[in-house]
Amino acid sequence: MKHYNRFRFITLLLAFLLILIIPFLHRYFDFQFIQGWYQSLGIGKFWFVSPLEGLESILVSRQIYVPVLIGMLPAVLIALFLGRVFCAWICPISFLSELIDRVICRKKKKRELLRLPRQVFWFALLGELVLTMIIGAPLFVFLSPPGLVGREMMLAVMFHTLALEGVVIVVVLLLHLLSNRFFCRYLCPLGALLAFIGARRRLKVELQAGEEQKCLHCGLCARSCPLGLDPEKGETASMYCWNCGACIDACPQDVLKFRFSDQ
Amino acid sequence: MLKKILFSLAAGAVEAGRASSSDAQSSPIKTNVLRPPGAVKEDLFAAKCIRCGRCVEACPYNSIKMLDIRAGFFAGTPVIYPQDIPCYLCMKCVEVCPTGTLQKVKQSEVRMGLAVIDHTLCITWKLQALCRTCYNVCPYKETAIKLDQLRPVVVEDKCVGCGLCVHGCPLPTKAIRIEPIYSF
Repeated sequence: MKHYNRFRFITLLLAFLLILIIPFLHRYFDFQFIQGWYQSLGIGKFWFVSPLEGLESILVSRQIYVPVLIGMLPAVLIALFLGRVFCAWICPISFLSELIDRVICRKKKKRELLRLPRQVFWFALLGELVLTMIIGAPLFVFLSPPGLVGREMMLAVMFHTLALEGVVIVVVLLLHLLSNRFFCRYLCPLGALLAFIGARRRLKVELQAGEEQKCLHCGLCARSCPLGLDPEKGETASMYCWNCGACIDACPQDVLKFRFSDQ
Repeated sequence: MLKKILFSLAAGAVEAGRASSSDAQSSPIKTNVLRPPGAVKEDLFAAKCIRCGRCVEACPYNSIKMLDIRAGFFAGTPVIYPQDIPCYLCMKCVEVCPTGTLQKVKQSEVRMGLAVIDHTLCITWKLQALCRTCYNVCPYKETAIKLDQLRPVVVEDKCVGCGLCVHGCPLPTKAIRIEPIYSF
């Protein structure tokens, strides 16, 4: 049962196509039922709001608007139970990175040219929130690439132009070539927020109980991890793991499994 | 040591923020550059708006444009250039705004700005012709704009500032413009 990589890529592709098709529907078919992208996705009368964007909006304006909270709720609940699954399974930057992996860097070489301490992740989030409050204007506009991808695609389809801040996407993807998922690992504020919410998540990748003997210590799982975690040492239980399942696919002995704990 | 570095970084960021505040934090809203209908006060707008672009997508006339990074902190916020495409007050953008940055208001209570007629440019006021295009295109004619001895006059507390008159004015240099209102 090793299909998580393919399944994940299909999910990412569908999620990417969704936000690519929405502007076309608006521009050429006047179809208003779904709007937006992963900053705020509206389906009919209901809308999702990305937790980071909603949080910054509330922090900066110091006003609470109930529909924002309701919109943030599904994303927060998913993060609470499943962890950072948005990053691995939906985020358009993830899609582009995996596309690069599949098209350009087909060799399974581990790219780790630039490493930082993992704690940078939290400082990035905290720094961003503090700076946002100092400046008084939200910074995710430039620093949350999942939103930028959607914005660029919408502008390209609706107005046939691109916004300058799209450079950030290019930088993020270049960093990905330098070191696997560098931005996602160390700098993404949305990822950090979701990881923080999912600190005590239910869904985790674990060595199957009673089958530790089967592990060959081959290190393939650690090699396959896009975030540079080592499942063998139990790092998948840490806050950083985003439950992509790449290590499960890589394990030749089928020792690693997703486990949904009850409490 | 680390503390020191972090502190100096933070101080630097504050300084940079202050230095660029005059430039990057000055509102893009000026004559003939408007926010969509129902917008909150301009000093709150950049804070509340999450730049999700749904108002831009929802606008059936493509009136609403998105600012880019050249607008500094206002990047990604929606604006309307009534000289190109004015606001037709369909209020679809208000319905889709997820953060309440565009608030639900009655069509007649929208205040995106205020139309001002330049009497030195308007050919009717200069008594050269009998044009009343601005009066004809106004969605609230006889309420927001009236004719005073056949000359157009804006009723200041009724004008919604949609910019249809600006769009309609036939003169190469528009004789009517929308001035922003910063507080309601």
